[in-house]
Amino acid sequence: MADKITFTRVIKLLGISAKMDLAWFLRDTKYALAIIGADIVSNLSVVSAVFLISARFGGIGGMSVDEVLFMMAYSTLITGIFVMFGSHNNIHISRIIGRGQLEHLFIQPLPINVQLATCSFSPFTGGSNFFVGVVLMIIAERRLGLQVSFGWVLSLAVYLFITMVVIVARSYLVSSLAFYAPVAMEEISYTAVEGTWLLSTFPLSGMPPFVQIPLLTVLPEGLMAWFPSLCLLGRPPLGLSVYYPALYVIILLPITSYIFKRGLSYYVRKGSNRYVPYGFRR
Amino acid sequence: MIKYLKTAQLSAFEKTNGGIVYLLPDVIVKICTLIPLVFLWKVVMSSGAKVDMTTEQMLTYAVLSALLADMLVVKTPASGWLSEGVLLKLYGRPLPVLGQLIALTVGGWVPMLLLFSLPMVILSPLLDVNLVPASPYFLLSFLLCISLGFAVDFLFACLSIKLRNMTWLICRIRAAIVSFFSGTIIPINLLPYGLAEAVKYQPFASLGGAPLSIFVGAANVERTIALQILWNLILWPLALLAFRKSQEGIVSYGG
Repeated sequence: MADKITFTRVIKLLGISAKMDLAWFLRDTKYALAIIGADIVSNLSVVSAVFLISARFGGIGGMSVDEVLFMMAYSTLITGIFVMFGSHNNIHISRIIGRGQLEHLFIQPLPINVQLATCSFSPFTGGSNFFVGVVLMIIAERRLGLQVSFGWVLSLAVYLFITMVVIVARSYLVSSLAFYAPVAMEEISYTAVEGTWLLSTFPLSGMPPFVQIPLLTVLPEGLMAWFPSLCLLGRPPLGLSVYYPALYVIILLPITSYIFKRGLSYYVRKGSNRYVPYGFRR
Repeated sequence: MIKYLKTAQLSAFEKTNGGIVYLLPDVIVKICTLIPLVFLWKVVMSSGAKVDMTTEQMLTYAVLSALLADMLVVKTPASGWLSEGVLLKLYGRPLPVLGQLIALTVGGWVPMLLLFSLPMVILSPLLDVNLVPASPYFLLSFLLCISLGFAVDFLFACLSIKLRNMTWLICRIRAAIVSFFSGTIIPINLLPYGLAEAVKYQPFASLGGAPLSIFVGAANVERTIALQILWNLILWPLALLAFRKSQEGIVSYGG
């Protein structure tokens, strides 16, 4: 019988994951530090590309160098949260589905969504980019002379949460294909999330609407950093409301939920053929 | 030579084993990244800042970089196959392992060249991009770039063998360093804060950025090609020696 899920239980589950993360860090510190370094270098190489362009040209499309830095800080915070909560393929769910590993979750006495939300929390080995993002955000905020209040920090937290929901929802939406084509679609989530990450760091200011609008609707890369950053700077683009990202989530979530549940139902009936009888993956 | 061509052919067809439709997500992502990238550079170049390249050159540079991405910074399956246990299979075949890796990699480029690069070459006039090389030496530089790319990749594969459990980590750092220092994202001579001078002679600069700069006419052809030849002469013997020494250290479990 499944455990009763309360807020305290969720915190305890996150604590278990954090404890395992700390145990790994202490057991294999050298390797863990190398991973942390690789994570930081990898993210900085992505965001620094756009920042260096902006520094060379004195801004991009009406955004100043410091505003671009602010956007890169937001992007780094998102990367940090992603790594901290999603490094066990629980966000790249097509890998778990495609590899026939979803059954592993069925035997645990916890709802699948709770397991997926808490299984990957790794603040010790995965928190480095979040920390770098906080530092970059403080630098950008000082250079821009922003009036930081409790309300502004709350807004930042809400926008970060909404961006993460968009990332997870989109990943789960495309990953539903892996229920039907496990081998071919195993990496679809990676393609959808990581494959477009460079695009998500582009400041879309100054681009024509026929480029901007698709990137805020069909392929929501503009919601990953550009749109929320401009909202936090007090000038939401394209005349849209600051609530647009929330509205986008409200529309995206039920669609994702419906399609994912249909795929899951198919998977439960058909199963997975990824493992041969002696254990290896096809 | 026929054996290598057949190996390359097998690799090309392998990519489409699940059906061409399953390659479409990658193609769509590449197109969806390329179009905003072109407009990003249009916006940036219209800022009026004085740089050594015209808007037309920059757009050509950016588009060509996307179209030839796999070849400008070569990545063989060696490092990934090490952890997956596939690399050892190559030792059971009657061809040199490095030769197989090269053939398999070249073959693997074909589907994306046909499904993404070729259509985008045809559509490039719609993006105001001129894909005619400014110098015939582009081809030589491009071949030297590919050759150097293989040498660099084999050296990273040797590092993966040496460090055993760190394949993923090496891949991450390598992708970050090479994409930045090769000039495929930002042309090296556009880097600010004096970085351009600091990085233009390192080996990664002789990868993607070199042929792209020659293609758009923004490089000193003789000096660029001489550097590429020099780095090939230095890194190929190193790569061969390192691989020969590393082979007996290969540990590969698969899974």
